[in-house]
Amino acid sequence: MGGELGSLVAAQLEAEPWVGALVGVDVDPPRRRLRTAEFHLLQPSQRERIVEVVTNFNPHVLINLSVWEPDARTGLAHARQFTADATTAIVGAAAECPALESMVVRSGIEVYGRARNTPTRPTELTSIDPTTEYGRMLANIERSAREVGKRVGIAVGKLRLAPVLGKHVPSPLGRLLRQPVVPYSLFADSPFAVVEDGDAARAFVAAAANRLDQPLNIVAPGAITASQAIVRGKRMPMPLVGPEWAIARQLSHLAGAPIPEHVVELMHRGRLADGSRAREVLGFQPRLTTPEVIDHLYAWESVVRVGRIREVA
Amino acid sequence: MAEILQFPRRAAGKAVTAANTVLTEPLRHWPTHSVDDFGRDPHLVQALSPLAHLRWDVSVSGTQHLPVKGGALLVCNTRRWALSNIYAALALSEATGRPVRFVGRPDFAPIGPLLRRIGGLLARPDEVLGALRNHELVLVSCAMSNHSRHAGEVDHSLIGAAVVAGVPVFPVATMSSAMSRTARAEVGPQVRPRRKRKGPLAEVELAEQVQHHVQRMLDGFGGLQTGVAPLDWLAEG
Repeated sequence: MGGELGSLVAAQLEAEPWVGALVGVDVDPPRRRLRTAEFHLLQPSQRERIVEVVTNFNPHVLINLSVWEPDARTGLAHARQFTADATTAIVGAAAECPALESMVVRSGIEVYGRARNTPTRPTELTSIDPTTEYGRMLANIERSAREVGKRVGIAVGKLRLAPVLGKHVPSPLGRLLRQPVVPYSLFADSPFAVVEDGDAARAFVAAAANRLDQPLNIVAPGAITASQAIVRGKRMPMPLVGPEWAIARQLSHLAGAPIPEHVVELMHRGRLADGSRAREVLGFQPRLTTPEVIDHLYAWESVVRVGRIREVA
Repeated sequence: MAEILQFPRRAAGKAVTAANTVLTEPLRHWPTHSVDDFGRDPHLVQALSPLAHLRWDVSVSGTQHLPVKGGALLVCNTRRWALSNIYAALALSEATGRPVRFVGRPDFAPIGPLLRRIGGLLARPDEVLGALRNHELVLVSCAMSNHSRHAGEVDHSLIGAAVVAGVPVFPVATMSSAMSRTARAEVGPQVRPRRKRKGPLAEVELAEQVQHHVQRMLDGFGGLQTGVAPLDWLAEG
């Protein structure tokens, strides 16, 4: 509930007529004003406290958004640790709630992997075969949720999000594309799809309302290649053919925009997914297409000037 | 005393601007919204069209059989090295005004990504199924043969995608010459299964039927026409 996506989901849930009480747990305080939600500032490692908060509240629906994307807010090792700790605590606590009917967990289309000869545009029926550490982290979340769902007999919805971009969402892909000089793979220049944070939040609310019990891809329509994104953003393209990627990654890291392996994979092999099932099951249609999300990415101001603060007597 | 060393900002700025112009200029003329959900780039297809016309002068017929909306699976014969699926897909796209995706692109750079940009899909049943469910026209090839008038076996797992998606299957007979530009792509009427099957026999039988239809259409094309009668008789075998 403290991250941008969590705050958006909480704010939208507060407006839903079917939602009674709302409780959230996160390492950061909420970024939006929440009127009725109760918030607990807890670290992922505080498992006992998290379990206590969740079991005392005894929810009907539980939404787990606690995913740390590598190099978004923290490095790979910490991201892996925090995600694993949070999953154990929250999914474990879910199993102890007698009133629980449904659980919705955040996953990503990285779980399909991009090994050779894997489908260009996987559907939910495609078997998961992650090829990056982030993909494996997400696959672990799905596995834990599925096992708990089977054991306790609750509906488990898994929302596989395309890379989430938004004004305040920490994203290594967004950060990379907003650099003045952006590397891209000259010989591949593969297409990828993204989703805006507001659309992702709406998908979570719809999944919770519908007691979703299956995986769904949440992807903005359309696709874009890295070179097209760079030109749209009026950035300087740096075509790379292969071995120089290692140097480019180091340089980008020094410049403050580390490029994790799942973003390198996206640049080389692309990352598309078929999101049509979400429309059939949830009636969910993203508001923004992939090129529009990319345009919004470049429309953000680098520095937001709030002006002088006036003193009020 | 000490001298302040200044970074040559103006010179560096000029160099960066020049580099930016060189790197960005070729990309600027390209539309930045041109890739569809499957990675096909209609603008690239259009740009490559003169090159394709330089190699193949394809005469297309039978497109009235194809649905105006909705997905369909097309099956064509292919001769070794003839790239029948590529020229037939490009010609049919032009004739129908709908993108026709061909199956059988490799998955390694730079050929794989290039073929994806002109509508290539991987030869996987789930990839074909995904496209058909999204109402696309998909062209798959029979097994390669050495003879231009011989239709090879049809992969029944790819036909299975059409059975699962519930879309019609059409035979496409293609003929081209290694020596000249002349090529032909003819779409036949929809192949309907003779018997209703519930299990995997549906796709196996349909695949055999489609192969038979393509072969019959190829037989209907007639033999080699060089203008020299004895040579044509020899080619008849």
